[in-house]
Amino acid sequence: MDLVCPAGSLPALKAAIDHGADWVYLGLRDSTNARNFAGLNFDRAALLQGLAYAHARRRKVLLALNTYPQAATWRRWTDAVDLAADTGVDAIIVADLALLDYAHRTHPGLTLHLSVQGSATNYEAINFYQERFGVTRAVLPRVLSLAQVELVARNTSVEIEVFGFGGLCVMVEGRCALSAYACGDSPNTFGACSPGHAVRWEETAAGLESRLNGVLIDRYAPGERAAYPTLCKGRFEVDGATYYAVEEPASLNTIELLPDFLRAGVRAVKIEGRQRSPAYVAQVTQVWREAIDALRAEPERFVPRAQWIAALGRHAEGSQQTLGAFSRPWK
Amino acid sequence: MTRETERGRLKLALGPLLYYWPRTAVMQFYAGIAESAADIVYLGEVVCSRRHEMRFEDWVEVGDLLAAHGKEVVFSTQPVTESEGDLKLVRRVVQNARWRVEANDMGAVSLLAGATNWVAGPYLNLYSPQSLAMIAAMGATRWVAPVEVTQGIARGVLAERPAGMEAEVFAHGRLPLAYSARCFTARRYNLQKESCAYRCLEHPDGMLLKTREGLPFLVLNGVQTQSAKCYSLVPDLASVRATGIDVLRVSPQSAGTVETLAMLRALCDGASSGALPETDTCDGFWHGRPGLELAA
Amino acid sequence: MKLLGLLPEWPPAVALSAALEIALVSGLLSRDALEPLRGKTLCIEARDLGVRVRLTYGALGFRPAARGSDADLEIKAAFADFVALATRREDPDTLFFTRRLVMTGDTDLGLIAKNALDAIDWSRLPRPLRGF
Repeated sequence: MDLVCPAGSLPALKAAIDHGADWVYLGLRDSTNARNFAGLNFDRAALLQGLAYAHARRRKVLLALNTYPQAATWRRWTDAVDLAADTGVDAIIVADLALLDYAHRTHPGLTLHLSVQGSATNYEAINFYQERFGVTRAVLPRVLSLAQVELVARNTSVEIEVFGFGGLCVMVEGRCALSAYACGDSPNTFGACSPGHAVRWEETAAGLESRLNGVLIDRYAPGERAAYPTLCKGRFEVDGATYYAVEEPASLNTIELLPDFLRAGVRAVKIEGRQRSPAYVAQVTQVWREAIDALRAEPERFVPRAQWIAALGRHAEGSQQTLGAFSRPWK
Repeated sequence: MTRETERGRLKLALGPLLYYWPRTAVMQFYAGIAESAADIVYLGEVVCSRRHEMRFEDWVEVGDLLAAHGKEVVFSTQPVTESEGDLKLVRRVVQNARWRVEANDMGAVSLLAGATNWVAGPYLNLYSPQSLAMIAAMGATRWVAPVEVTQGIARGVLAERPAGMEAEVFAHGRLPLAYSARCFTARRYNLQKESCAYRCLEHPDGMLLKTREGLPFLVLNGVQTQSAKCYSLVPDLASVRATGIDVLRVSPQSAGTVETLAMLRALCDGASSGALPETDTCDGFWHGRPGLELAA
Repeated sequence: MKLLGLLPEWPPAVALSAALEIALVSGLLSRDALEPLRGKTLCIEARDLGVRVRLTYGALGFRPAARGSDADLEIKAAFADFVALATRREDPDTLFFTRRLVMTGDTDLGLIAKNALDAIDWSRLPRPLRGF
């Protein structure tokens, strides 16, 4: 089982590789990827250095081109595909139909992964991308239960990748316009959810408040754990009750499910967090490397170690971790 | 000759019913729609596969009624499938021999490829002329824009319009903004989705979500999240026409839908003004602004 | 103990400016990446020490801000947490979730500064200058 880790900068890429990532995924400094945040990501020079560092250690680099190009900016995306092919990126992660088609026709040797932003939740969709574009791996949206993941994996020869740890989209990826509704920039077309320019934190008499384009997302009492200022993790009032109406701030942590993933035919586990720093990447990658190695050594006797749980728990958003959709009660 | 006369009269479509109503209420609603100004009616359950008041055969019956009244009937597939049961329903909708199909995920597109005259639904994420050309080559003859589409993006998509391709935009109603695996209605009642007691039935227009400052913000509708404001392109009809849009989509509500369709028909046909039931409307997406803004 | 709060804020501001200057001058920190910070005032406060440092970024790099100027962005944490961040032992989001790091004002400026610092590849700095 492959370990796929995030990098928002060259030091993060080195941290991932030094701590045991098989693949590192990254994006360019523009709207061609879904973590289009100010100052984050790679320019050509950093990409070349990252590729050299990874390839010297026989690890692989994935370029995420997982947003949706538009007429006026089509060339930005195709230039990025060309750059990936020219610089020897090992695979690209793509969501858009026409961009997959472009990459498949223009660079037949370039390996294609279907992005989670492609919203493919069933094997008919995944097989379609394989037949049309030769996609070899698909990342599943974080909405399927274990049994449903297994159903998909049993009915396709495309490798299945699932999210293992990190920030949790409670909405189907590629099917969420909440951020665009509140603050304009769209995850699908601009690559940003709750962008910094729309976010305001303010310490008030009532507590620490987070606002998105002026809309109050949450208010934290002193000492209460905070969350990303995304709409889906705020507290709102519904029918007289004020609570986390959509989802508690929580991070996905599926380390205990690794043996189940193996049985279900999952081929790769992805760590979320290109927006996070090299310290996070190093610590989380190290834990998952140890866990996957332990799984490989003795799959029947795999038990998550206490120090792994503690190390991962430190990085969780809000106050808890969840198995997400993999567990039926959550749904 | 203006663009408008080139492209002809704007058609009105009624989008699929997004809420969960008792079967008799659904039947009554569509009996009213049969007499309404809608030219096109999209049918089927597109939010939650647990909703079962309307069986497949019931939708067929509604479709027959609407077709007998001269409506174009389109059967919509589920945007999010999870189980083999969900896929079976997609196959059944795709293979229905009576009506056009609106494909809302690539699984449905795959099952339709080679067929002709189907509708590329708003959830396929088609934002470029290149992707529109591909979907046209697979047999689609109508593009329903993603709800967040801007005028600029729509113009770009339609700059190289494939022959015979129509364009439709979401023009009136609460915006379907997001889908989840979790049910937010069940969550409000501390129920699990699997044993939700079908509480959506109690909320014919969803449940209003307000900020802690009392601002109406979103609407929870089972696994779907909608805007609390009514999105309306009524102030934007001139630019909608100029962009080359052929069809305006109205989303069903428990009250006022027939009246909204009638008013839109009159406005499209040249009436200078008219009062729609909603007062707090928004149209930000069309202007490349936050969706909740009123920019026109 | 707020004793340090009574001291002039300039000495720590000068020290921090100097560290950022090293990164800039040695090419480890890209001026392009910092361009959005031009003319902005950042306030960094070590809560436990009561020390506040205000910096502005301009054509000459980072300089202590003029007294009394309003901050566009304020970042507050304990001194030890700032050190842990600077030496890459802690992740800012992790500190932020647990309220050990508070950032108010223009969030985008904070992200730009944080991402610029994360992108510095200190391994390319000659060893005597690294200090850790």
